[in-house]
Amino acid sequence: MGRNRSPLLRLLSNLRNQRNLRMNLLLEARHLTKSFPGVMALRDVSFDLRPGEIHALCGENGAGKSTLIKTLSGIHPFGSYEGEIHVDGTRAEFRSLRDAEAAGIAVIYQELALVEEMSVAENIFLGAERRRGPWVDWDRAYADAATLLAKFRIELDPDTPVRELGVGQKQLVEIVKALGKQSRILILDEPTAALAESEVAILLRILRELRAAGVGCIYISHKLGEVRSIADRITVLRDGASITTLSAGEADIPSIIRHMVGREIKDLFPRNAGSRKSEAGSRSDPLLAVRNLSVSPNADSAPRLHDLSFKVAAGEVLGLGGLMGAGRSELLQHLFGAWGVRQDGEVTLGGGDYPEPTPRESIRRGLVLVTEDRKRLGLHLEQPIGFNLSLSSLDRLNPGLFLDETAEAPANQRFFDALRIKAPGLETTVGGLSGGNQQKVVLGKALMTEPKVVFLDEPTRGIDVGAKLEVYHLINELTSQGKAVVLVSSELPELMGLSDRIVMLHEGRISGEFTHERFNQEALLAAAMGNKNAFAP
Amino acid sequence: MTTTAPALIATPRPPVASTRELIMPAMLALIWILFAVLSPQFLSPRNLSMLMIELSVTATLAVGVLLVLLPGHTDLSVGAGAGLMGGTAAVLVNQHNWSAPAALLLSFVVGLALYAGVGWFIVRNRIQAFIATLGGLLTFKGVFWLVIQSHTVPVTRDGRDNLYSLLTTYYLTPTAGWLLAAAVVALLIFLQSRARARRRAIGARVEDFELAYLKTFIAAQGVALVVLVCNQFRGVPLSFVILCAVAASVHSLTRHTPFGRHLYAIGGNEEAAVISGVPVGKTVILAFTILGGIVAITGFMQTAYIGNSTTTVGDLMELDAIAACVIGGTSLKGGRGSVLGALFGALIMASLLNGMTLLAVSPELKFIVRGLVLAFAVWTDVRFGKK
Repeated sequence: MGRNRSPLLRLLSNLRNQRNLRMNLLLEARHLTKSFPGVMALRDVSFDLRPGEIHALCGENGAGKSTLIKTLSGIHPFGSYEGEIHVDGTRAEFRSLRDAEAAGIAVIYQELALVEEMSVAENIFLGAERRRGPWVDWDRAYADAATLLAKFRIELDPDTPVRELGVGQKQLVEIVKALGKQSRILILDEPTAALAESEVAILLRILRELRAAGVGCIYISHKLGEVRSIADRITVLRDGASITTLSAGEADIPSIIRHMVGREIKDLFPRNAGSRKSEAGSRSDPLLAVRNLSVSPNADSAPRLHDLSFKVAAGEVLGLGGLMGAGRSELLQHLFGAWGVRQDGEVTLGGGDYPEPTPRESIRRGLVLVTEDRKRLGLHLEQPIGFNLSLSSLDRLNPGLFLDETAEAPANQRFFDALRIKAPGLETTVGGLSGGNQQKVVLGKALMTEPKVVFLDEPTRGIDVGAKLEVYHLINELTSQGKAVVLVSSELPELMGLSDRIVMLHEGRISGEFTHERFNQEALLAAAMGNKNAFAP
Repeated sequence: MTTTAPALIATPRPPVASTRELIMPAMLALIWILFAVLSPQFLSPRNLSMLMIELSVTATLAVGVLLVLLPGHTDLSVGAGAGLMGGTAAVLVNQHNWSAPAALLLSFVVGLALYAGVGWFIVRNRIQAFIATLGGLLTFKGVFWLVIQSHTVPVTRDGRDNLYSLLTTYYLTPTAGWLLAAAVVALLIFLQSRARARRRAIGARVEDFELAYLKTFIAAQGVALVVLVCNQFRGVPLSFVILCAVAASVHSLTRHTPFGRHLYAIGGNEEAAVISGVPVGKTVILAFTILGGIVAITGFMQTAYIGNSTTTVGDLMELDAIAACVIGGTSLKGGRGSVLGALFGALIMASLLNGMTLLAVSPELKFIVRGLVLAFAVWTDVRFGKK
């Protein structure tokens, strides 16, 4: 092509090439297409990442984000997809995650991959042990770990066993672990899903520092506010195709959502004022009343929850807010009978005293818990949808010795249809469903028990916008049926949008109670941080 | 507007891949063909009857062990327990002049109580079943030897047949065999048509009538074939009838009761089962209790088969039972497995042993072959069982 070019043109083209070299892309995916039997997971997706850039990936569950990451990180090996992947301008053919890691790509998954019984330092260098001859050089490992942690101003002792860390701290250890392997490309899959606002701030600070140091990040999150504040560019995937790539400046949340769902979501929190019953609720007898409750993890340990008192009435949504570790999940689990030893206080459920809760007895009395960790505590992943849906209701559906298919099957079908679970049928194994559909199965299992009080612990965690909306509608439907809902959410807008009243917890104590008129993001946050006097009424 | 056909009703089925489902039957066929070629006696009615009695012992115990494997536990003590319960009954009959039915009943109750205790111990103290039942193995073995004073105790008194000795020596008369077969087929047809009627009543999809008819017809043929072969020798062995009764009971317990559902739920994800309101402790203790009863029955059959209670009765039976379950697709982590699979696994193990004995294979080689077959089964499970 360049045979008959003038020397000047050649010089210019050389200059341009050099600039291109300097502007080199860290990672580039060209026309990726990946299909599974019956599904096109990725259709001709192109994507690139520059050095020192945070590039966010948005999309509903099932849009192809996970498939894209797995393809970029070698989990879907070379040959199983069409298209090309380039790292630093050279073509890469990853046959395994290890290949990708060797090329400087590190993936930090939603489900953390740390060994609980090992220390922070051991985890950081797991698989890349510091050696002296055939032996592990522990002194150097701990020293290096301490250096790395200090570099990112993370206050953690490398000696601490990982099992003693909170979710947020574990996430930070994961990131340090990836950086310990000299990774230049970080892929973060929903890193803040389990974090409280203060921990999110730390994480984002670290990501900004990494960006300044030239590391490229692919950042996946359902929290669009966060995405807008941190990302340089945002790529939206829908149905396996890349819909658009926006620069962070030109993207506002409604337009991102519009691209994600392909339709307009006018009202994110459809709880309308007309259905609020908080005034009527406070007049009627509460379905659940807690007085001066103190709970400790074990019989002989110090209380984690102190002197809690609150009530929930029929038709009401009580929001429970607070930072990670404030004791929200523990409170729900204790009242349900799955955590802790009660040191003091009284609980009445449906008017009756309830001193010694067990999950079985709670369900019998009309109290259910939808846990935040649906894979660990909510589902039997190897079993079909039908098995999961009816599991909590077997006693009610089958009064005799034998299972009554004529009672069970229609009940399963009813919830399958009502919740619009997207699956071929009740026989489908739960493990293969998307997060949103799995969550619907957990909700269906809880609701089939015909509860009066429903505890929802982070019910929209890690599910896509469309499924979130369905959960919101479901909460409305529950309250209109006269059920009481206690909602835990780490997302303040969600908590404010859905609750009639909000109780904030801080380190196991109530740090503020707010009626709907007094909802105010700053005041709630202050209460979450423990500033009771600053804003609380 | 198009309406989709109503989905199949969720009857929980262990997710077993089809490749695996084909490999193990192929293996059984291979074993049978091999033995039939090497030894003409293998397929003789006499040997097949012997095989059925041996199968009855292994398979009954395997079906019992399945009950504790499903919720993710295990039991190493069942061999020693079988020896103990068989020995207790033998001592009562032979040395204390008890009537056989009373002795069997008492030992049976002892079995229930012992294993309820083991289950309670495991649940209450959160002890791993492996260790708890390893302790059980040693303890039961010692108690067993004390009970029989490390002697050889016949299951009869003065050489007269009793209910105990008849367990493995009694054969149904040809007529009784046919009557029983007819009853079984009638029951199958009744259950099948009732299930169809129920499904139809709730608007669920019903299997094609011809297909259902064909399946029932094949099952009936199978039952008839068994009776036909048995009647060419002495008739259907009583122990085989016992096996069928135990297997049918455990099958309906695991598949058609809330208790069975709970077993799968506990094994699949115990924490989620607790949150779902499954009575985990009670369910596990009940599983161990039922296992205790089955261990006693197995002990009676095994002791009767040998004719006496001796110190070696029950040796290594726990491993055969667990192996049979695993070959049949049971997961040792719990949550997966079925009675049909366990029966199938037991049939492979029993056929191997029977055929090799017929060929006068040395004991050393017998162990090695059985070990390799077990390893192969686990390998196919890992290789083809999961997707």
